[in-house]
Amino acid sequence: MLILTRKAGESLYLGDDIKVTVLKVQGNQVKLGFDIPRDLTVHREEVYLRIKEENLMAARATEQDFFMATELWSRKKKE
Amino acid sequence: MVQKKERVIHSRVGPLHVEQDRLILFPKGLVGFEAQRDFALVRLREDSAFFLLQSSTDPQLGLMVADPYVYVPDYRIKISTPEQELLRLKNIREAVVLVTVTIPPGKPEDAVLNLVGPLVINIRLRRGMQVPQNQLRHPPRLHLAGGGQTGEGSTHEPS
Repeated sequence: MLILTRKAGESLYLGDDIKVTVLKVQGNQVKLGFDIPRDLTVHREEVYLRIKEENLMAARATEQDFFMATELWSRKKKE
Repeated sequence: MVQKKERVIHSRVGPLHVEQDRLILFPKGLVGFEAQRDFALVRLREDSAFFLLQSSTDPQLGLMVADPYVYVPDYRIKISTPEQELLRLKNIREAVVLVTVTIPPGKPEDAVLNLVGPLVINIRLRRGMQVPQNQLRHPPRLHLAGGGQTGEGSTHEPS
């Protein structure tokens, strides 16, 4: 892992077109600003990991439980 | 009459006959399953909001998904411009939104909808992607039995 030290207000570039600026450091929180190309999406790691876990869980349900759940949670039931 | 090209997909629930042009391409796969790109979406019961999202190439990979709006009518998600472009969405009416369903083993009555990583599908072009929600206005999980969120985090999740 590359480790750099930056002060608030200082920036760094990832390649030519991604600029990361440290905006504020307060206690254990760092506020970062990103200047990024339009076609780049940024996601928080914990969100991504959570979705990965949820996908694995959704894929792991047994066929029997799935059919049972489908029976239980029919559209009509809600109406 | 033109015969549609049909394909047999081996799924978790047995062989499925799916028209070739009904398959959905996920150009980036799903989170955690990036290698799988082609999926079939199958509703196993007419009146159900639940579907099986089945990989066309890996019979073992089938995810439980559901139409969230049946249970969360005000579910709102954000799709960024690059994501809209990847989906080639021109109109929001082209988009179908699904969420994954977690079913605890042996407890189908405790099914939970996961609202953080909705699957958005351009139904016209049959292109889909999972769109992580960084700032969700809803509880991250909806416990169907309670009709509310699950215990974890209660109403507030650290952002």
